[in-house]
Amino acid sequence: MRVNQILLTVCISTAFFACKKEDNPVVVAPPTAVTVNSLAANPTSVSSVSGQQPIAATGKFTLFSFKDGKQVANTDSATNKWDIGFRSTTIIINGGPLRSGQGGAYTHTGTFDALTAVPTSASFAQDQSATSLAITAAAGQGWYNYNQATNIISPIPGKVFVIRTGDGKYAKMEILSYYQGAPANPDATSAARYYTFRYLYQPDGSQNLK
Amino acid sequence: MPLGLFLCLTLLQPSPTDTLKTRALDEVVVTATRNERPMGALPLPVTVIGAKQIQQMGSLRLNDVLREQTGLSIVTDHGQGLQVQGFGPDYTLILIDGEPVVGRTAGTLDLTRLAVGNIKQIEIVKGPSSSLYGSEALAGVVNIITQAPTITRGSVSARYGANQTSDLSADVSRQWVVGKSGKLGLYAFGDRYQSAGYSLSPETGSQTVAPFTNYTGSGRLTYAFSPKLKLSISGRYFNENQTNDFLVNSTLRVSGPGSVQDYNLNPVLTHQVTDRWKLIYRFYRTGYYTSTDLRYADTRQEYDASFFRQTFNRPEVVTERMFNQKNILTIGAGFIGENVEATRYTERKQFNTTYGFAQYEWMPTLRWTVIAGGRYDAHSQYASQFSPKLSARYALSQSVALRGSVGVGFKAPDFRQLYLNFDNAVAGYSVFGTQEAAAGIARLTQQGQIAEIVLNPARLATIQAERSIAFNLGAQFKSTQVPVTASLNIFRNDIRDLIDTQVIARKTNGQNVFSYNNLSRVYTQGAELESSWRWTFGTGLLTLSSGYQFLLAKDKSVEANIDAGKVYRRNPTTLVSEEVKPSQYGGLFNRSRNMANLKLFYEQPKSGFSASLRGIYRGRYGFGDRDGNLILDSDSEYVNGYVTYNVSAAKTWKVLTLQAGIDNFTNYTDPQYIPNLAGRLWYASIRWAWSAKQI
Repeated sequence: MRVNQILLTVCISTAFFACKKEDNPVVVAPPTAVTVNSLAANPTSVSSVSGQQPIAATGKFTLFSFKDGKQVANTDSATNKWDIGFRSTTIIINGGPLRSGQGGAYTHTGTFDALTAVPTSASFAQDQSATSLAITAAAGQGWYNYNQATNIISPIPGKVFVIRTGDGKYAKMEILSYYQGAPANPDATSAARYYTFRYLYQPDGSQNLK
Repeated sequence: MPLGLFLCLTLLQPSPTDTLKTRALDEVVVTATRNERPMGALPLPVTVIGAKQIQQMGSLRLNDVLREQTGLSIVTDHGQGLQVQGFGPDYTLILIDGEPVVGRTAGTLDLTRLAVGNIKQIEIVKGPSSSLYGSEALAGVVNIITQAPTITRGSVSARYGANQTSDLSADVSRQWVVGKSGKLGLYAFGDRYQSAGYSLSPETGSQTVAPFTNYTGSGRLTYAFSPKLKLSISGRYFNENQTNDFLVNSTLRVSGPGSVQDYNLNPVLTHQVTDRWKLIYRFYRTGYYTSTDLRYADTRQEYDASFFRQTFNRPEVVTERMFNQKNILTIGAGFIGENVEATRYTERKQFNTTYGFAQYEWMPTLRWTVIAGGRYDAHSQYASQFSPKLSARYALSQSVALRGSVGVGFKAPDFRQLYLNFDNAVAGYSVFGTQEAAAGIARLTQQGQIAEIVLNPARLATIQAERSIAFNLGAQFKSTQVPVTASLNIFRNDIRDLIDTQVIARKTNGQNVFSYNNLSRVYTQGAELESSWRWTFGTGLLTLSSGYQFLLAKDKSVEANIDAGKVYRRNPTTLVSEEVKPSQYGGLFNRSRNMANLKLFYEQPKSGFSASLRGIYRGRYGFGDRDGNLILDSDSEYVNGYVTYNVSAAKTWKVLTLQAGIDNFTNYTDPQYIPNLAGRLWYASIRWAWSAKQI
């Protein structure tokens, strides 16, 4: 029994190494969902006064690439290297008259796991102007709801964003939290403007999001 | 739990010996029919709280009294309002001697404006009474019956308690005979109430309740020209001044005065034309005025300086025709002229209502009472309303009766929903009433502030009144052997065209423009159980009463969407979206599924000693959405259920009464979610009451 197990392990490892060595384009591991924790989106060091410019905020978008799974420098903002950008509650997509990429966004209602492909009915919106973005930057109409009593921003559950990336590939993403450390119940002391989201990027250019 | 306890006590107690020869006479109420009727025979659920009980409870303001009643809860939103059968404060009409109290902020009529020292009794009718009272009487009616001139008497009382709260109050009553048949009567009442307020979380640097002082003066003058013609003129004046001082965030302090005033004048002429025909002419004028001047403490720049002024005038004629003991017809007609001026309205706004109502009381046999009625309201700003109601009572036996009613209630769109014109300079959003929306959007568009129009404001102009159909079905038990009563009432209210705020446009600054629209359909349903037991205990009399209400209040479209799998929530641990299950939907916010009370009153008439112990339970309820789906579905969105215990004791020596008590003696507080629940509050009072022998 034990010997069998060891043999099996050896076999599998050999097969794996063999694959890599010969560089044959065969088995590609299916894309997996990745969670990004507390991505800073122009946070303020001190809680700001409404209507006034936040203290110590840079005013710049935090640009992100799904392909690389990391932040893209703002100097690359005029390229198609980035896919999505965050600045406080505003989200931008690398597509449309304002941008240089081919991106777009479609808002799907459902759960992340149940969405396995780009819906055939999907129409991709783009960033037309600063006040007409692919993902509307207003409470209740885009990605979040705002509670006037507690001043808490909550991502609307059941919103999955199907993103066409800057270079024309597809990904799906769900925003989980707007607060640092993604607390289950953020309160007045939680630091805002930190995005926690999970996404699945399909590198092969297909509309398969499984 | 209180019910179980009650049953236990019932079983434990030996049958009381029949020493209680003074069985209380059936109380007379006016609210259910607009005529004086014995409460026991009414086909509607009515609660009566008498002056004596109010005194024993040590209550000062109306909210203190109503908080302890079965099925009622006090909710805080711009003041302390009343929730009845799961309806918010906007849907219960508050009357003084049958005339409406006006002055609501965000729908709440602040019950702390109403002192209780001049009250003879409070009558509460649950279920819609729009068939008699028109708009706002959707969930029910609370009618405060004030004292009328009786024998020559007077009282003075003083009270001091926690939070430097003091109350001074006095009243006097006198009657004179004038000429051959004339009779003049006067009743006057005055009250001064002051408190330093309190802070449940001093570290925030803000008071939870700001210091205030208020004055109430009220009175009634009666003159009987003859036994058949009587005039009554009553009036009231109330004035409160608050001293605000709070932090808007960690560094900015705002301070300034605020004031609230209201007054009313109510002449009523009653003409008993014949034994069976009565005519009542009433006129009522009331006004409500508030102003605030809040400024930043450092710069003295304006934070919020605003005023609100509302007036209400109503002439009315009612005739009561008694054909015989079994058939009584009441018919009335009137006109209401209301207007409002405020900082947040473009100009002085006015609207009028002309109405007529009729009610037929029919008692075909001793067992049956049937009341059918209806009211028609023609309004200057929205579609006319017809509100019928039918109720019946059937006595199964001497001790058991069944009763049921079906009725329609409505609430007119209020001034705010029609005419508000408000740009929040600090936060950047705008709110327009439905009649102002088109002009408001046009103005903002011209200023280049509109990014996108979501809903054409022209569509809002035809806003409807909110309407409900209600069913109440119940049974009453009143033992003929022992002093035990019990009652059960099952209710269901279906409300349509509920008015809610709606986003009509998006501004370039990322904020929204809101207006009001007929959006939701909701229902509330539940059951209310009450019982009381009275028995001799030593040389005294002990009364034990208990009450329980079960309530479900839900939005029908939310329920339908959940059933269709279209509503999502955030999993509390993984934060991943998942479908909301029907069992997870907790219904409307701020409604407790379970509420209960258990009250013990003890009285020893010979020694002048009395005491009370009351426990009030409010089950857990939702305070607001936390996970972004705007509905109540997760445990973190609930406020914990809690019990408050109030205790009081009093001793009377001839004309002097000393009373002391502690409200909330277990010191239960929840600063974050229940700011209106102050901690433990002790008080002591002295009252001098004198009365002459009957003339």
